[in-house]
Amino acid sequence: MLADGPSLSARQISRSFGCGETRTIALHNVSLDLHSGEFVMLMGPSGSGKSTLLAVLSGLLHPDSGQVHVLGQDLWRQTEPAREEFRRRYCGFIFQGYNLFPALTARQQLEVVLRWGHGVSGREARRRADEMLLQLGLGKKAGLRPSQLSGGEKQRVAIGRALIKEPLFCFADEPTSALDWAHGEQIIELLRAAAQERGTTVLVVAHDSRIVPFTDRVLQLEDGCLAEPETARRSELWSVP
Amino acid sequence: MSYSLVTLWHERQRYVPGVLAVGFSALLIALQCGLLLGLFSITSIPVDHTRADIWVGAPQVLSVDLGRPVPESYLSRLAAQPEVEAPEIYLQGFAYWSKPNGATELCIVIGARLDDQALGCVDELTPELRSLITEPGAIILDESELGRLGMKGIGDVAEISGQRVRLVGLVHGLKSLAGPYVFCSLGTARPLLHLLPDQTTYLLARCRNPAEAPAVVERLRAYPNMSAFTSEDFSFRTRMHWLTMTKAGIALGCAAALGLLVGAVVTSQTLYAATAASLREFAVLQALGIPRWRMALTVLAQAFWVGLTGIALAVPVVFGLRELADHVGAKILLPGWLLAIAIGVTMTMALVSGLAALRSLRLVEPATLLR
Repeated sequence: MLADGPSLSARQISRSFGCGETRTIALHNVSLDLHSGEFVMLMGPSGSGKSTLLAVLSGLLHPDSGQVHVLGQDLWRQTEPAREEFRRRYCGFIFQGYNLFPALTARQQLEVVLRWGHGVSGREARRRADEMLLQLGLGKKAGLRPSQLSGGEKQRVAIGRALIKEPLFCFADEPTSALDWAHGEQIIELLRAAAQERGTTVLVVAHDSRIVPFTDRVLQLEDGCLAEPETARRSELWSVP
Repeated sequence: MSYSLVTLWHERQRYVPGVLAVGFSALLIALQCGLLLGLFSITSIPVDHTRADIWVGAPQVLSVDLGRPVPESYLSRLAAQPEVEAPEIYLQGFAYWSKPNGATELCIVIGARLDDQALGCVDELTPELRSLITEPGAIILDESELGRLGMKGIGDVAEISGQRVRLVGLVHGLKSLAGPYVFCSLGTARPLLHLLPDQTTYLLARCRNPAEAPAVVERLRAYPNMSAFTSEDFSFRTRMHWLTMTKAGIALGCAAALGLLVGAVVTSQTLYAATAASLREFAVLQALGIPRWRMALTVLAQAFWVGLTGIALAVPVVFGLRELADHVGAKILLPGWLLAIAIGVTMTMALVSGLAALRSLRLVEPATLLR
């Protein structure tokens, strides 16, 4: 389900941390295109700049130079409120930890995003949260708090929180790192379904090569540079399962 | 139920110090101010428990217990006012009470007319009691002062200013701050206070229409060598004198302010710690584009609920302690306006604490979630 033009286009992105002798280059002239409905995996060794690239592409971390074009605008020439608005309307995030509010039920974790971020009424937010939890196989766990859920269930709630607003982009940072493969596979299937069925552009940072066969494309980052041509298709590099 | 309330309940152990601090502050403010009001309401009993609309005394008199002799002839100045009904004299002053064991105690002798229309006779003196003190040397005391004055009960005798007095009756609720009140007739009071036959401490008057009292007082103030007040003004002046000229008001006020400060610091730190503990969750919401003000509103809502819970816990305790204080003879006045102020100040303190706790939200940085 790939659209013709890129939904996100990054050009010559560079980002470093520190200064002087302690300066570390995290990204060096990285360029890539992401398409609507595409499930892209970003791989690379620790410290290669994967998370930094994810943060720059999603409007969370300012690059030193380069442009991120999304929806016809340069993300990093916009104001902070405009970037916040971009993330609110178009982005979902899944982080390494589940980061769920301990006091809220699975349903409330999802409702918060709709009610606080989109002004959705309580009743409508509840309906949509229940619908999403049902899709995630958590229909019977809607009233449970994080302490009553397994790791896989918590990560599914976190995915629900990222996808409930039906974002154009979903950025996931090591979403399966804390899970065994059986649960991890479920998570990846859910993300792939989001890309295929909803047209969401999914960018996943991960180490686990078992994810590769599920993706449309793999980007390899090494020492802050994209090692593989970003236009290379997963099918050219990896066998389809 | 709001998410902030859900969080508050689920993590109630975390919020307990804040709730208790708010409750403690509300309790301290209400009790200290109530105690202050109760304490100083005692000082104006002679004004508040009598029927006069106008009080005239020596120039610059600061409070009712500090009256000085003025000529009785000033009665004509009051009588000359068309709105005034039969003015009368009123004697009051400090005197030494000699206990049966030889020790002395300062007391306040109050001598007033005793007929049914008397303006200076306190309401608590029933016709029977008034009849009893028409006898020379007969006095009435508040029951709670007996021990202080070394008396056992009705019929006991003692000496005031070297003159023999006999206790003929008791009243309740007229405890004094400066010295026990000794109620008696004008005839008994005059020698006890060493007042000359043409001297009085105050001149009292009642207006046909009480609303005219302020205008009459204004006219009376034109006369030299005396001061005039409406009873409301004199009562307030007396209480304010005690409040400002003694250290008691300042001490109680400081204690209440200290309670407020402690409450603010503990509440603020509780909310700060609770918010800081959820920084990663807030960071996720911020990454999802939920504005910071929406999260700030949640912290403020938590501050509101902490404040409300603390106050709800404090109110019954305040009333319980008032009853307890009543039993041990301390007067705590808790008028509605005082409770409203205490609740308002405490709630404001809780919300300000919430505002102070918002600084923890500045630490929210969604990029840190990407490691």
